[in-house]
Amino acid sequence: MRPHLIALGAIVVLCAAAAFGLHDTVTLDLLFTLLLYAVLGQSWNWISGYAGNISFGHAIFFACGAYASALCVTHGLSPWLAFPAGALVAALLAVVTGFPTLALRGHYFSIATIAVAALVEVFVRTSPWLGGANGFELPIASGWAALQFSQKGPYVLLALALFAIVQLATMWLERSRLGYYLRALRANHAAAASVGIDERRWKLIAFAWSAVMASAAGVLYAQYTLFVDPPSTIALAISIDIALIGVVGGIGTLWGPAAGALVYVVLAKGVALQIGGTGKGYDLVIYGAIICIIAAWRPHGIVGTIVDALRRRRGTATATPA
Amino acid sequence: METLTTFEQLLVGGLLAGLVFALVAVGLTLIYGVMDVVNFAHGEFLMLAMYATLGLALVGIGPLVGLPLVAVALFLFGVVVYRVFVRRLLAGPPEATVFGTFGLLVLLQGLAQSLFTGDFRSVPDPPFQATLRFGGVALSQATLVEGIGALVLTAALFAFVEYTEIGRAMRAVAEDRVAATLMGIDVQRVNLLAFGIGSACVGAAGALLMLSFPVFPTAGASFALTAFVVVALGGFGSIQGALVAALLVGLLEVFGGYYLAPELKMVPVYLAYLAVVLLRPQGLLGRR
Amino acid sequence: MYARRLVASLAALAVAVTAGAVPIRAADAPEVVIGAVLPLTGTLSQTGAGLRTAMLLAQDLVNGHVSYPLPMVGKSGLPHLGHARIRLVFADSQGKPDQARAAAEQLITQDHAVALIGTYASSTTATASQAAERAGIPFLNPDSSAPNLTARGLKWFFRTTPNDATFAENFYQFLGDLKRTKNITVKRVAVVGEDGLFGTGAGDAEEAGAKKYGYDIATRVSYPATTTEVNAEVQRVKTSSPDVIFQASYVPDALLFVRGYKQQGVNVKAIFAQDAGFVDPNFLKAIGADAEGVFTREVFSMDIKFRNQAVPLVDQLFRQRSDGAKPLDGNTARDFMGVLVLADAIDRAGSTKPDAIRDALTKTNIPGKLTLMPWNRIHFDATGQNDGGVGIIEQLQDGKYETVWPFDVAVRPVVWPMPAWKR
Repeated sequence: MRPHLIALGAIVVLCAAAAFGLHDTVTLDLLFTLLLYAVLGQSWNWISGYAGNISFGHAIFFACGAYASALCVTHGLSPWLAFPAGALVAALLAVVTGFPTLALRGHYFSIATIAVAALVEVFVRTSPWLGGANGFELPIASGWAALQFSQKGPYVLLALALFAIVQLATMWLERSRLGYYLRALRANHAAAASVGIDERRWKLIAFAWSAVMASAAGVLYAQYTLFVDPPSTIALAISIDIALIGVVGGIGTLWGPAAGALVYVVLAKGVALQIGGTGKGYDLVIYGAIICIIAAWRPHGIVGTIVDALRRRRGTATATPA
Repeated sequence: METLTTFEQLLVGGLLAGLVFALVAVGLTLIYGVMDVVNFAHGEFLMLAMYATLGLALVGIGPLVGLPLVAVALFLFGVVVYRVFVRRLLAGPPEATVFGTFGLLVLLQGLAQSLFTGDFRSVPDPPFQATLRFGGVALSQATLVEGIGALVLTAALFAFVEYTEIGRAMRAVAEDRVAATLMGIDVQRVNLLAFGIGSACVGAAGALLMLSFPVFPTAGASFALTAFVVVALGGFGSIQGALVAALLVGLLEVFGGYYLAPELKMVPVYLAYLAVVLLRPQGLLGRR
Repeated sequence: MYARRLVASLAALAVAVTAGAVPIRAADAPEVVIGAVLPLTGTLSQTGAGLRTAMLLAQDLVNGHVSYPLPMVGKSGLPHLGHARIRLVFADSQGKPDQARAAAEQLITQDHAVALIGTYASSTTATASQAAERAGIPFLNPDSSAPNLTARGLKWFFRTTPNDATFAENFYQFLGDLKRTKNITVKRVAVVGEDGLFGTGAGDAEEAGAKKYGYDIATRVSYPATTTEVNAEVQRVKTSSPDVIFQASYVPDALLFVRGYKQQGVNVKAIFAQDAGFVDPNFLKAIGADAEGVFTREVFSMDIKFRNQAVPLVDQLFRQRSDGAKPLDGNTARDFMGVLVLADAIDRAGSTKPDAIRDALTKTNIPGKLTLMPWNRIHFDATGQNDGGVGIIEQLQDGKYETVWPFDVAVRPVVWPMPAWKR
């Protein structure tokens, strides 16, 4: 536990220093994006990594927070309300959709998440009170009450706070009873059931918390970007991005999502700078190739591979992380 | 206007649409049935088959004549992809196949964009462009050909799996991989063939689809999502199940679109999937 | 311990990223930086590449000394600023609203752009222009058509292109002109469009116009853009018995619908297409004679070359520079003009101060004949919308789109009704 806490502390200090000290909007934007994606990746990690049910529809929970924020603001309410409101809706959505599907094996669950996400997208697109296809633009405001800032520093601090909370929660998960049951279920469904571990119940809890975390990230996103519509918050592409961050970093590991987010952000900016403007889609080729290579040769992701290597050095068996 | 004719038209349209979905889904079913792999890049295999068909058409070989060539090309492509990539995925943790094939999806779409640009390209002067009329119902000749192709392909694949030696080996592997190995079946070889044949089916589908659709880098994605739902609804691994599910999905989509609203036409489809999967987890006709 | 190593590597990376993000300043040259946000990667990257080419062409013509009948061309830069050259700096929106915002901020803070231009997609324009609004930097939008962009009460946002409301108005004005001159009456209109921002925006504007001008809405059909069949949609249109269909579709769905209408015998008097798929050369090749007689609204046509001789000249220059020798089209022509409008305003301001440029923009008054567009003029109203913008209507005749409205710029007469489909 100690080394993880030290690492987290170091990251918090570093990012906070950047938030207060730097004024370069480009770097701060990268940092904000990085922290937000790390949070999203970690929230996905709870259900897909630790619980073992791979979700391709995670964006809907992110959208809960984003739309909650948009709705609060356009109805004259404080955007801070979007945190509990979005969390509630996200948790409800997770429980309602998880209840029938979490007991399903692998691919059935994954495709179910795609189906649910598609239904949610249709619902939002065809509901005028949810902005329909146009979405919402949040009016410009400033100050902590409005949860909007003209400088980037406060946004980075908020994202950092969220990241720290989520990492601490995941550290707790790994050592908790919930985490223990999830590991047992992943290792052997039948054996776990025979000892009386209720698969549906524990997975629902993990799923609901994962939804709440994603929703919180959604609120921050909305307050930062000031624009919310289906393609930017609910589309399959967003869910895939989230999943990829988890996979590249290391599915089911504590620091996987952070590593994955780092790679994703650096790659996105780097690729855009190098080859942008040709319209040829080389960026997709590079992403795709990286994912294929990781899946085939380093399926435990960056952090997972490091963890395996260290475990081998220590002489313990290379157990699949989480 | 006359409601009865409209109903008949929707019925025929729905069944034909369902057959087109079956055409795309049948190869996916085989691959899943035998090796427990959902090839998320299935749509992109279809897209490549469509581009291959276009390529042949541009040198004077029409889609129907080119079909066997495209099927063979996709068979070889599938074999290579299996040997180089999917086999490695199978050796890793279960999620590896999911992400690996998704990575393949992104890679192939990117390659298509780089090589062919985002333009929507159609086969010049395709055959079967006339409209057929039976009673009060009109349908496209091309769609009918695609539908017939779907039935032929499904029947052929079913016969192959039921009555040939390799087919029996595939069913054995599908049922119990360990037992099959103990019986002396070379599982790797069976997997390889299944992946190849599944890809060949997609090749045939792509060739036929070029009779009525343009090809572009994300063309496969439009068909693939429905294909996954169809395969899951029918029961992974069941070829008859895929056909039945496809027809059901086609009817749901078309009737849903007319009697509910066009923007809601996918809702009954997804709801049906969730309902079946909840109430009958092995799908309509699935085995496990 | 691996945690310590992890921290060390993360720290090193953080330093590297920060260091790399600090730009190296080039030697100062007398130039004015204009920031351009465009989709240079992602699904819109092909369009973005073309828009970039068009903007760079405009930049070079402004900085050059060859004169054309266009604002600011051939004056060797900005005369009122000591012939300072304009320099476009591009940032990638990736077609995503959050990236567009970051791109705008980057151009403002790192590249010190005095004005911004972009971004094609309405959703990315929304966020990029908000960033400009916060920073107090003028934002010129030459190519996004969502009407609400100029309904936000922003002070720094200026749009040269007509929006969806204007395009819908054009169709109804056209119908009105047809009634007056040829006694053609239309009563029922069907509005069909894909369910995204494009189709919904166009459809809403058309519905509003129908109510305003007293037409009955036979049916409103909204469908998922990636659909592979349109049985229900076509039946819905057919059973509603419209006289005219408004259609907002991309290439694959346009093909499905036109073929579907033909098969099902949906014999309407006219199909009014909203550009996009219907003007794509691939659509025309694939659909052949079946789309004969389709109308489309357009923002630009080579037919207006008789109004301004610069049109074919710019087209030629653009073809030389564009990948695949593509001709000038509505998007590239508008973005080209956008750069000229900004150059014109900055020059009249005689200063690079944002307030001065903004003030000069509000006073913009460029006669339509001095543009490449079929517009009456470029003049911004109180909301920042160009009130002189006009679309044209073309009709597919003998496989080619010909301008048929407004009647004073028409090159061919209207064919009404659409020719019946040949079996």
